[in-house]
Amino acid sequence: MAFPNMLYGRVLKSPHAHARVRSIDVSKAEKMGAVTITPDEIPDVTYCPRLVSVPEATYKDWKVLADKPHYVGEAIGAVAAESEEEAQKALEAIEVEYDVLGASFDAFDAMKPGAEQVHDEIYLKDDLLKVENNIGCQLSITEGDPIALEEADVVIERTYRTNRRYHNQLETKSVVVRPEADGGISVWSTTQTIHNTRLLLHDIYGIPMGKIRVYKVALGGSFGSSIHVNPVVTIAVALALKSRRPVKLSYTREEDIRDHCAYQMIFKLKLGANKNGMLAGGRLEAYLDIGAHQIQAYPLLGCIVGWWVSLYKLPYKDYVGKAVYTNKVPSCAFRGYGNPQISWVVETMMDELAGKIDIDPLDFRLKNYIGEGDLFWGQGPSVKSIIQSCGVEEILTKGAEMVDWYNRPNPEEQTGRYRRGWGVGRGYHTSSAGAPVPSSIVDFGGAILKMNEDGTFDYISALMDHGCGTQEAHVKIIAEELQVPVNKVNIIRGDTGTTVYDVCTHASRGVYSGGGAALKVAMKVQEQIRSFAGRILDAYPHAVRIRYDEETDQTIIFAEGIEGREVSYREIAETARHKNWGTVASVESYRQPSCPPHFTGYFVNVEVDTWTGKVKLLRVVAGADIGTVINPLLAAGQVHGGFAQGWSMTTLEDMPYDPIDGDLVNRGSIANYKVPTTQDLLDVDDLTVFFADTYEPTGPFGAKGIGEGALNPVAGTVANAIQNALGVRFFQLPITPIRILEALKEKEE
Amino acid sequence: MSINKVNTHIIPMEFQYHAPTTLAEASALLEKYGDEAKILAGGTDLIPHMKQRKVEATHVINIKKIPELACIKETSKGIEIGANTKLRAIELSPLIKEKTPLLSEAAATVGSVQIRNLGTVGGNICNASPSADMATPLLALDTVVNVYNREGSKDYTLEEFLHGRGEVKLEPGELLTGMTIPLQPKNAGMAFEKVGWTTFDIATVNVAAVLTLKDGKIDHCRVTLGACSPAPVRVYQAESILIGEEPTQELFDEAVYLIAACVEPRESWRRAPPEYRRKASQALAIDALTRSIEKARRLA
Repeated sequence: MAFPNMLYGRVLKSPHAHARVRSIDVSKAEKMGAVTITPDEIPDVTYCPRLVSVPEATYKDWKVLADKPHYVGEAIGAVAAESEEEAQKALEAIEVEYDVLGASFDAFDAMKPGAEQVHDEIYLKDDLLKVENNIGCQLSITEGDPIALEEADVVIERTYRTNRRYHNQLETKSVVVRPEADGGISVWSTTQTIHNTRLLLHDIYGIPMGKIRVYKVALGGSFGSSIHVNPVVTIAVALALKSRRPVKLSYTREEDIRDHCAYQMIFKLKLGANKNGMLAGGRLEAYLDIGAHQIQAYPLLGCIVGWWVSLYKLPYKDYVGKAVYTNKVPSCAFRGYGNPQISWVVETMMDELAGKIDIDPLDFRLKNYIGEGDLFWGQGPSVKSIIQSCGVEEILTKGAEMVDWYNRPNPEEQTGRYRRGWGVGRGYHTSSAGAPVPSSIVDFGGAILKMNEDGTFDYISALMDHGCGTQEAHVKIIAEELQVPVNKVNIIRGDTGTTVYDVCTHASRGVYSGGGAALKVAMKVQEQIRSFAGRILDAYPHAVRIRYDEETDQTIIFAEGIEGREVSYREIAETARHKNWGTVASVESYRQPSCPPHFTGYFVNVEVDTWTGKVKLLRVVAGADIGTVINPLLAAGQVHGGFAQGWSMTTLEDMPYDPIDGDLVNRGSIANYKVPTTQDLLDVDDLTVFFADTYEPTGPFGAKGIGEGALNPVAGTVANAIQNALGVRFFQLPITPIRILEALKEKEE
Repeated sequence: MSINKVNTHIIPMEFQYHAPTTLAEASALLEKYGDEAKILAGGTDLIPHMKQRKVEATHVINIKKIPELACIKETSKGIEIGANTKLRAIELSPLIKEKTPLLSEAAATVGSVQIRNLGTVGGNICNASPSADMATPLLALDTVVNVYNREGSKDYTLEEFLHGRGEVKLEPGELLTGMTIPLQPKNAGMAFEKVGWTTFDIATVNVAAVLTLKDGKIDHCRVTLGACSPAPVRVYQAESILIGEEPTQELFDEAVYLIAACVEPRESWRRAPPEYRRKASQALAIDALTRSIEKARRLA
């Protein structure tokens, strides 16, 4: 993207993990002709870049530019110049003096008394809070009688540690900001939410909302890394406002890796089960190593307990979650939002418990899962609803049959170099954060649908499509409701000025919630079409019927059985114009009444080379209950992608820090951050995806989501397969060849 | 390196670009600019390193315009490969596949097709990375490298040429022009093994083996190990216990123990600890020996 007169921005990043900026001298950069910005030139607003929760649940500790950077890579200034090269030179000409402060790179170190505070004070809504022991926020919940857990036949307690993962979305965080003659700005950015981008820019810069136009752009994946407004956006706005010229700011991959990552978590989990095969209760402590800022740590603490207690029935549950500041890159949502992490832990322990009470792990899951008619609060304690559709049993029994589950190998009988194992794992994710009553999470969307004068339709929505075909699904929903071919429904790429509010494309809500809004406007439009047709045909609007006529490529409204009483969409549209009846159109907001879980289950077969520790994939069978499947190939594609990301999470990815300089050990280099290629996975024919036959009553034509559920059970399943091959369990991710050889050595000894 | 100096959108430094068309010109430029000059061949290492400011070059000398540097041909001495030959060309060359399949096999494991379409064998050697995937097999093939010098060309064995991490035996004004792989014994079985974390990854360990059998006993034998010491090494001790013996599991176990003993731990190893490299080198050596013996048997 480029505009005439556009400048190129570069961000001045802190080389220190924690420091106070004593001085910034931009005079040399300015002499070179660059426009510069420093912290004192930006409105002094402390904010949270994610605007999905209500203010009462929003912790704020961000500034556009930091005068006290809290991690290596945090923005402390920026430049804009005529070319990337000139901007780079100007950036290098800036002189900064720092007072270096102590830093923590581990959540438990950070909580120790006397550890340097990452933040002394932060805000909750507008109230100033003092931070103690680097705990940014916490949440605890208890339900039931602890005696259930204490008296359980078998109790296991373990500590698990997950990895720090980078989203590795196709394009790095990028933005173009153009200042407008009316004092406003136009913004094109790699965001998952145009309206929340506008909201935040309004909050920081005070520009009236109508003068901030944020445009939809095509995304190549995001995986949760732009639910919040990324730093490039707020910085580029400041550069554009100061220079009064369009500014493009696009992070390099090295900058992007130091910009966002998944939440690294440490869990202490205790689960009890009785010999009758039923879970008795559990206690979970969750420590989130959130990095240097809060993006959505508090709602995540709610989701972790929600994900945990909505997997299996626990008569007693006790939870404490703490989000801990460290001097690392701020963590944000990453596909599954804590669910892949906690599902790995629970699915690992479910297998272990099943072994202890001598029940097949698959049967153990079937006895304890939460399904139809049960209370579900995956999205946290403030978002509760009742499950109305569930394919868990179908997924597990059909999958078991396909892989001959009950004849899987016994790990203790294998001795050779290559050992094979099967694992099972299951999980779910919510589709949206809808609920019958308001919660601390905003979840509604909206859509505009209008009939054109030739009887075709324009669909306008703020909902971002990350490349998943979400908008295509909406078009199918609208086309189905209006009985037209999909090519009669156009997607109009809107912006904040031409769309109604949609919270964000996240939480696997694109099809379920966004599709719900699309269905609502389609129903309203159909009502108006019927009304106009009724007038034309002298028939009752509710009595006329609709059919598509292939020969004329027209949708016809007709009074059944009465000859001559039929009219096409095109004729209706024309008549409405000629007779000045107006445009058939609808604009609606829509809130879903629940957030139904879409369930998934995996069966994975691996072969471990016990000499090199390499794990090879042999076969994967995945079942998914997503209600009505609207885009079958794309939905299966989501499962393939979810599996690949889960495999990578389990076996490869991590981002350790160098405690000496506080930077990432990989130094931001993507070549040093390994993810699998197609060649490292399995032949596409060896990955079978099947869909359960379910219908979600609250979903558009029975549909639920799939995006996140596709990933959530993978790590647990793969870990269980490795255990089945080796007889060894792992309590830290990733399960690398190095860790496998170490564990085998330990087992031998 | 200060993170503010890295900009991989561009090459964030000023340099003079040269594109000599003869070896003499290239050599003169190299002599003139010395340490300030860097040779651009495939660019798969140089360009990222310049973007990341790991290399600050003020003169970049593109040697791709020198025609004689890219070739694969058979001569009376063996196979000659020009320094500028693309790894992808080595992977696909029918001549190499027939005479020294080990090289095609190894070339096919370097990065991705896109990388192999750019990267050259000369670059792979001259970077002198301990994990260079071409050095280990070339060493097992007794490769002689050819170096251009204004006074005349010089030949070194690859072992002499590879000084250690990041260093090769090149004097100012000299450049690698190619290499000669001596004719291999007719019945040689060859195998290359590598372990990395993904298929695009560099080697954590790599091993090459070249063997022949005579009357059921190992006759000619080369075993080389890469990524475990400052430069890939020939494991003479292992070769000497293999030669003249019948290939048995026990013999291999003894040999791979000696191979693993060549792992020289380095402080800066971040990819894998010495213990892992020892274990993996044994596994790869067993695989390489087993596969090359199988091939040698078929050819015998």
